[in-house]
Amino acid sequence: MKKTRLTALFAVLLVGVVAMVAAGCGGDDDTTGGGAETTSAGGGGEALTVGSDIPYPPFEQGKPGEYTGFDIELIEAIGAKIGRTPEFTDTSFETIFRDVAQGKFEAVISAATITEEREEAVAFSDPYYLSEQAILVKEGSDITGLDDLSGKTVGAQQGTTGLELGKEKADAGELRPYPEGPDAVNALKSGTVEAVIIDAPVAQNAVEESGGVEIAEKVPTDETYGIALAKNNTELLDEINQGLEEVIDDGTYTTIYEKWFKLEPPKEIVG
Amino acid sequence: MGEFFNQYFDFDVMGAHFSEVLEGFLRNLLLFAVVVVLALSWGLILALMRQLPGRKLLPIRGLTIAYIDVLRAIPILIIILLISGGIPYLEFLPKEIRIPQWFGQPDPFWFGVLALTLVYGAYMAEVYRAGIEAVEPGQMEAARSLGMSHGQAMRHVVVPQAVTKIPAPMLNEMISLLKDTTLVSVIAYAESVLIGREILAERFNSSAIILAGAMFLVITLPAARLVDYLIRRNQGKVARGAHIEVG
Repeated sequence: MKKTRLTALFAVLLVGVVAMVAAGCGGDDDTTGGGAETTSAGGGGEALTVGSDIPYPPFEQGKPGEYTGFDIELIEAIGAKIGRTPEFTDTSFETIFRDVAQGKFEAVISAATITEEREEAVAFSDPYYLSEQAILVKEGSDITGLDDLSGKTVGAQQGTTGLELGKEKADAGELRPYPEGPDAVNALKSGTVEAVIIDAPVAQNAVEESGGVEIAEKVPTDETYGIALAKNNTELLDEINQGLEEVIDDGTYTTIYEKWFKLEPPKEIVG
Repeated sequence: MGEFFNQYFDFDVMGAHFSEVLEGFLRNLLLFAVVVVLALSWGLILALMRQLPGRKLLPIRGLTIAYIDVLRAIPILIIILLISGGIPYLEFLPKEIRIPQWFGQPDPFWFGVLALTLVYGAYMAEVYRAGIEAVEPGQMEAARSLGMSHGQAMRHVVVPQAVTKIPAPMLNEMISLLKDTTLVSVIAYAESVLIGREILAERFNSSAIILAGAMFLVITLPAARLVDYLIRRNQGKVARGAHIEVG
């Protein structure tokens, strides 16, 4: 009796595993996959599969099923304009462009800077955000900016512009790439790194939410964020650009921007 | 299919970044070398504490068993994150200990050493214990009846016999340990997988990670064969009824 039950249990587990694998391996057009990390934002319309590296507050944050943040609300607003409902997949930033190019999801909104390198792999929408890098330090640190990082231990997130900036402009003693931005901020708070180079809004968020850290300097980068798509997906790209324009024109963009950054949106975007 | 090979087996990418990945792999080996010495020692100490006799030493036995069970039951990744994130906050410790940078190695290295030693000490303690329990109880009894203390009997009679029984399972633990040194990448220790992922972020190509995997194979595959050989040799000895020499 006991043995039969055990066999039955294994059978159920096996079926479950097979079902999950099958859902995870679905093709490009598989928008009904029931993987635990895919979550619908609710509302109507056909699903729009979106990849994002979560958490990266205030751009993307929250638990599966209730993701929120600037990027998340913006793509939801754009989705509402074009009649698509975003479904989010939490994924790793360093593989995110490869995955969208391969069709694992249709679009990427993940605080992604538009660069020439990345444009070789994917197509970007019109810019939806202008970015600055910040040098984040412990409160009371004598580091006042990029020039003071000489010989210091500096943290950044793997695969990000902050890390590039650290490599190219800061004469750091040691540059440590952490898997996620919050890991680097954590290392700063615990004192194992002396500064972190990270996107300005993320730094601002760390200052407000975690305390004990401050922004030593904001470094302008002339960089803009875009929504990334597979290169051959030009139809959706047009739709998203159109949706973005509408969202900017009707003031939704400004509302979302002020909610998340507590600042007015830059003129370069809202005109 | 071609895309798959381009993504994971691009030999140009592997060639262009070979020395960087190798440098990372040498950091894996360095971490392994330090941890293996410490964990073998710590594991033996734990195993011996677990075997302490008598009612008076029951608390020590209990604590040791609890330590071994708990450390084996928690994912190593969590231990690494806890140690690297937690120890720097212990302000009663001097800075050299909270943020250790001894012998020119960065603090993620030493946090990795501590975390892996604590966990692998527990794993290895179980291997020693299996070896100790495989020694016939008569050996201990005979040694005690000759007037040896428990410690002397362990040191001169039981442990020397136990260690001859455990090379194969111990080598298995070492193979696991070598592979687990990659987990320290999570606290930005620049070992081979972290470097491979950096190259992925830069080139949008995963081949450097596969190259790191190949470097592990060079060490772990022969080691796995060696484990098999040791098991067969040991079985052969037992089958022939040979007595294992006691030093």
